[in-house]
Amino acid sequence: MSGQRNGRLSSLPALRRLTPDRRRTLYAFAAAVLLFLIGALVRPGFIEPSSVKSILVVASFVGFVATGQAFVILIGGIDLSVPWVLNASAILLVTSSLGQDDRAAEAVLLCLGLGLLTGLVNGLGIVFLSVPAVVMTLGMNGIMQGLTLGLSKGFTCHACSSSSPAVVRDAITNNLLGVPADLYVWLGVVLLVTFALGFTTFGRRVYAVGNNERASYLAGVNVRLTTVVLYMLSGLFAAFTGIALVGYGGSPSLGIGDPYLFQSIAAVVIGGMSILGGRGSYLGVVAGSITLVALVSVLQAMNMPDYGRSIVYGVVVLLILLLYGREEREV
Amino acid sequence: MSRPKLGQSVRRSRWSHFTAQNVPSLLALLILIATLVFYAVLFSTSLGRLPGNFELTSTTNNAMPLVFSAVGQTIVFLSRGIDLSVGGMMDISNSLAATRMGGSPGSMVLWSIIILLVGAAGGLINGLLVALGRLQPILVTLATLSIFQGVAIKVLPQPGGKVPTGYTDFLTNPGHPWALIFIGLLVLFWLAFRRTAFGVAIYAVGNDEESARANGIRVVRTRVGAYVVGGMFAAAAGLFLAATTTSGDATAGDSYTLTSIAAAFLGGTTIFGGRGSALGSIAGALVLSILISVLFFAGINQLYEDFYQGLFLVLAVALSALVGYFLRRKK
Repeated sequence: MSGQRNGRLSSLPALRRLTPDRRRTLYAFAAAVLLFLIGALVRPGFIEPSSVKSILVVASFVGFVATGQAFVILIGGIDLSVPWVLNASAILLVTSSLGQDDRAAEAVLLCLGLGLLTGLVNGLGIVFLSVPAVVMTLGMNGIMQGLTLGLSKGFTCHACSSSSPAVVRDAITNNLLGVPADLYVWLGVVLLVTFALGFTTFGRRVYAVGNNERASYLAGVNVRLTTVVLYMLSGLFAAFTGIALVGYGGSPSLGIGDPYLFQSIAAVVIGGMSILGGRGSYLGVVAGSITLVALVSVLQAMNMPDYGRSIVYGVVVLLILLLYGREEREV
Repeated sequence: MSRPKLGQSVRRSRWSHFTAQNVPSLLALLILIATLVFYAVLFSTSLGRLPGNFELTSTTNNAMPLVFSAVGQTIVFLSRGIDLSVGGMMDISNSLAATRMGGSPGSMVLWSIIILLVGAAGGLINGLLVALGRLQPILVTLATLSIFQGVAIKVLPQPGGKVPTGYTDFLTNPGHPWALIFIGLLVLFWLAFRRTAFGVAIYAVGNDEESARANGIRVVRTRVGAYVVGGMFAAAAGLFLAATTTSGDATAGDSYTLTSIAAAFLGGTTIFGGRGSALGSIAGALVLSILISVLFFAGINQLYEDFYQGLFLVLAVALSALVGYFLRRKK
């Protein structure tokens, strides 16, 4: 039965012994490795350390946003406000720090606070005003877009031309033992979130709420608080990605957050999490982020034109989903 | 959360049953009227006359793409789905119209039909993947969005092309508000559609798939059909977009994915299936379009447009949820 559902692979005894979550995580990592191998066939330099490192750095940004997205998807929610929370944070970083190192710490805290605040408003609206998550976060995306454009006068304000403080830039791009510092940050986030979701009461609560809200409420889980906290975390990670992107690219621009909405959702799902909540492991999300970015890099290495990249990207995501993202047959 | 008690609905009179069933749509109509009045007051205080032919024409014409995409989105919503590929399909339709359509009536009719069929084909792909592939709608349409966007860029790599003047005159005449006729036709279409076997089946499947199946409704066929009709409406929305802008742009439709969802929600249709009406969505689409003019005459900087649209969406949906909550408690 499960053999049919997941294709021929899972009929291998070794794979069948794994839980479905673990199996999906494994598939996601296998897809990433496969893409790197294809890349190596297309262009021999593709799997040289420097190339792999730069792909991983780009993947880390998807990974950061997807971390926040994974939190809310785990409880069956979704965060559509990611693009402009990210963008607002990126612009706030340079306008509040003016590119000066001594103001960098406050600016970073301000940006992270902004992310937490938008997440708080999202969470409160969803929990207390019973606005569906799709509408609440969609509305919040518009609110942040309007505020960002309005307050920065369409990104023409005087402070808007500042670039990233050197400290922030170094914290992302400097090499430490031959590896970009940003990847250490990602590793830290991965370890922390894996620990939080797998080995703490908080993590158990998240999965409980995602599986059955009513049952977890009856079991004493503060469902409302959990929901609000998770949306705040999503906002926090979106804002953090904004900071990291400015550090990486040197300066923000309008629309830098736009690709991250769909990429973060796709990464979460390719990583094997159920969009309905309650199922999936965070390591899969990490693999999903790498897979997506590796796919784009392979297509670039093949010199595929824009339109072809967009089409193949969609087709591959569909194929991966068909391989293991299917719902169980209901009847 | 109030749980419905047995026997309550039986005792309700017909009128209160009607209002309770249609609260969201009626509310959307009220919001539309309020927005219109507010607009008229603002307009006449700033210009010293009532809005006339020109204002009516331009507002209607600009609203047409959103109206059609929102109706398509609504039909998919009602079947308990979501269509994120609306924007991509509008891109394809818009690009095809701007590059292929000739000035002769025959060519215009032919290409309109071909484009609507392309929309149906796109919807068919979505529907088959959702209903037969048993994939989550949000993921399928996310992937097809990328594919459609790629196809659109292949059709029209650079913004440009030209839509025949005759076509613009017919769909969105710049001199007279004749486009209102299409809204009227759309209302008539909807009133007939929801009484057809297919329309009833969509509501039934959206409300409870298992019961629908038990009552002999072909669930797979109905769900696929909802996406096909949704795709055709998206293609029609793209045609109207091409007619109002008189030229083509392979990315012009992108924003309609999210605004069509916003309009449907504003009109009281939810993604949980089986509740709502295209009439509400038409009202919702008109409100979102008129709101832009309201902001203009209120002297609000255009950069804040998204802020107010987002805020308005969240408040309106929260209001609708509150009204529904009190109506249920009153009984």
